[in-house]
Amino acid sequence: MSKKRFLLFASLMMALTLLLAACSGDDEAKKTDKDQDKGKGKDELFVEDVEAQFPQTVSNDGEAVKDGELTVGLISDSPFEGTLNKVFYEGKPDADVMKWFDENLFDRDGDYMITNTGAAEYELSEDNKTITIKIRDGVNWHDGEPVKSTDLLYSYELLGHPDYTGTRYSFMISNVEGMEEYHNGEADTISGIEIINDKELTITYKEPAPSLLQGIWDSATPRHYVGDVTKGELTMEDLVSSEKIRTSPIGFGPYKVSKIVPGESVLYDRNDDYWRGEPALKNVALKVVSVASAIDALKRGDIDVAPELPTDQYERMIDIENAELLATLQNSYTYVGFKLGKWDEETKQNVPDPDAKLADKRVRQAMWHAMNNEAIGQKFYYGLRTPATTLIIPFFETFHDASNKGRAYDPEKAKKLLDDAGYIDVDGDGFREDPDGNEFVVNFASMSGGDIAEPLAQAYIQNWEDVGIKVQLTNGRLHEFNSFYDMLEKDDPNIDIYQGAWGTGTDPDPEGLYGRTAKFNYTRYASEENDKLLEAGNSPEAFDEDYRRDVYNKWQELMVEEVPVAPTLYRYAVHGVNKRVTNYTIDPTSEIQLYEIGVTE
Amino acid sequence: MIQFILRRSLVMIPQLILLSIIVFFLASAMPGDAVTGAFQNNPNVSPEQEEKIREKFGLNDPWYQQYGRWVSKALQGDLGMSYTHKQPVTVLLKDRLSNTLLLAGVTLLVTYLIAIPLGIIAGRWQDSWADKLIVTYNYVSFATPMFVFALLMLFVFSFQLGWFPIGGSVDIRAEGGTFDYYISKVKHLVLPVLSGALLMTYSTIQYLRNDIIDTKFKDFVKTARAKGVPENHVYTRHILRNSLLPIASFLGYEITGLIGGSIFIETIFSYPGLGQLFLNSIMLRDFQVVTALVMISGAAVIVGTMLSDIILSIVDPRIRID
Repeated sequence: MSKKRFLLFASLMMALTLLLAACSGDDEAKKTDKDQDKGKGKDELFVEDVEAQFPQTVSNDGEAVKDGELTVGLISDSPFEGTLNKVFYEGKPDADVMKWFDENLFDRDGDYMITNTGAAEYELSEDNKTITIKIRDGVNWHDGEPVKSTDLLYSYELLGHPDYTGTRYSFMISNVEGMEEYHNGEADTISGIEIINDKELTITYKEPAPSLLQGIWDSATPRHYVGDVTKGELTMEDLVSSEKIRTSPIGFGPYKVSKIVPGESVLYDRNDDYWRGEPALKNVALKVVSVASAIDALKRGDIDVAPELPTDQYERMIDIENAELLATLQNSYTYVGFKLGKWDEETKQNVPDPDAKLADKRVRQAMWHAMNNEAIGQKFYYGLRTPATTLIIPFFETFHDASNKGRAYDPEKAKKLLDDAGYIDVDGDGFREDPDGNEFVVNFASMSGGDIAEPLAQAYIQNWEDVGIKVQLTNGRLHEFNSFYDMLEKDDPNIDIYQGAWGTGTDPDPEGLYGRTAKFNYTRYASEENDKLLEAGNSPEAFDEDYRRDVYNKWQELMVEEVPVAPTLYRYAVHGVNKRVTNYTIDPTSEIQLYEIGVTE
Repeated sequence: MIQFILRRSLVMIPQLILLSIIVFFLASAMPGDAVTGAFQNNPNVSPEQEEKIREKFGLNDPWYQQYGRWVSKALQGDLGMSYTHKQPVTVLLKDRLSNTLLLAGVTLLVTYLIAIPLGIIAGRWQDSWADKLIVTYNYVSFATPMFVFALLMLFVFSFQLGWFPIGGSVDIRAEGGTFDYYISKVKHLVLPVLSGALLMTYSTIQYLRNDIIDTKFKDFVKTARAKGVPENHVYTRHILRNSLLPIASFLGYEITGLIGGSIFIETIFSYPGLGQLFLNSIMLRDFQVVTALVMISGAAVIVGTMLSDIILSIVDPRIRID
């Protein structure tokens, strides 16, 4: 018996092994086949001119049906955290949830400057130090209470509160007069904010900063509804974890929250009392869809709107027949940074090291010229990422210098620059040595994540190899997000260059990323010229747009000359929108408002 | 018996303490913390503010100090605040626990519903074509990684055939408490449950089959047959009763498997439960949540094995350690 069983077992295993072997053999054959196809497809399939090929507003201009329903995808691999208040939230998914029920007081134009068409109007004083904000009549919270000037004050009181542990106590907040005293617990009120009446208040700043018009905090918190921390009604911790912020939040936006399944989905109902007019839809459902499923969910009609489809799956997007694709430039860019010094914890300053491995700017210039960003954007992102030119991205239409072409792909020029700098291959191994004849190896740190992280890093390494620079991955591998930034922050000596990305927000001022005292200036680059220009860009004179543009053009030019970082790619976000949706736009200059989005069938 | 259970529970305590120390030490060895990632997107916040928050959360203290604080609080039922969720960890876990319990409970049930009949058939009609088929299924399921299988299920039944929703736990538009609501819940459960259950059956089937084969040649079964007990009766009354008991004792180990599996299943099906929370919290370095979750799953494993021991000791007094 036992022998028989053994035999059966053995034969089964044999059969299974064969089966599996056959499978894997077959799989491999198929895979290479498909890969070749894919390779071919990718080469032919790329977008030549994103802006010409994709609209920013849906073409469906039909009449919206009454009481339509819309389902919006929240494309994310993690659930939304559910901290549904602008003062406290951390993750972008929460911002996507808030968008439908909470509005900022000001509208913004194509340059992300505040305008007077929103829920509040503003007026700036002569010396540009004081802003008077007047909230429109008829702007009411979802519980019927009017939005008051003290509600905006409440946001400031929370942001500056000594117990506040969020990430939004930024320059625009601390620059308010009396804020630092309040923040340090030395004052009970913020002296720079004055309530004139229920609808009107003034905010006075210590220094006039042109970024004010982009960066001003203009999101109110319903004091009467969530409870008052300043009066000791509840603690900061209680407030943040309260139901009134997490599961039944209110705002004054076009839709109000009717139901939340934590982390997963939200249902909004029409806000009949919306100040701009009656919202077109009866209700909106928002649900989390993982990045991998986004395209299929749109195809199946599970969701009508898929903001930010994964661009590396473009070849699958074009098969979606029931939806229209829109594209817009994102407020972020990818770059390669060159480590040029150290952060000095004592003085809180970036200190460049003249002996850094890449201290010679000609080498940095050469490395920028050597990168074939055009090909990389086409091969890896189907042309949905385009070669970057300067550090003030075209997202800021007024301040981006379109005439500055950066450093285009030019391996010959790169070689010449390296020759001039004295980096020559003396031992004939195909790689250049440094001017002293020592081996020259550059350590490149790059983040893991996604299928293309590795090939992308290798493509750049190949590019640099082509001009004779030996580049190797730091520690021989890619690094996970947290370790990567940990190493960068600590100026790990194993990093000479690195690939990173920045989101710019809506304020063009680059000080926070490239200033002498900016900790995020990971390259540790600093120079007097740089200090001067950055200061001028946010000086009182810079309230004059022409002056500011001129300063920023000079700064962009300086960065192209000095190359502390080489911007590599600008990114487009592709939105998929079902053809039944009307009035959907991602154009920042468009007049169409969120409440006008409707469905035609 | 009570003495045995008591003693067995006492052994748990040093196990849990050791586990918590290891978790805490390892967590502090990971690069970055919850504040690192949060400030990465806000270049306009000064480094001082970032430091201040670290200081406030005590993230700069050595791990044993943080551990001491954590233990004294945990003993009072306070597991700390989640930095990313801005919520007490206990509240956060409570929210997610119901989803995971539902998913795990149904998965376990379905596993047994599949495994027990198959195990009986395979054992009773050993070497028949049905047995061979079942054994083949068993080896294949044993060898298939759960995340691959779950993705395949999602691809075929959601993407291609469109029979089931792509992710989530319930349709937001379904009115709570109505018939539609429960149907929607069930529909959202089918794929995650099957992805887990179909792969978890192997141990139960295998043990049950072997045990039945062993038992059916035992003397008491021969006696029963000799007395003229009908064959069906021999199986249901005599063999099955004996063979099912060891399966019950495996319950504890099955629970262990479920916890590990839930990480993949919940992530793939966007099912907001503890497994998905665990993975995200590691990514965001939300240590309070990670520690709490490791402790909970560790406790579940320890309790599970204890349950197994207790069941076994009831079934088989020989192994009782007195």
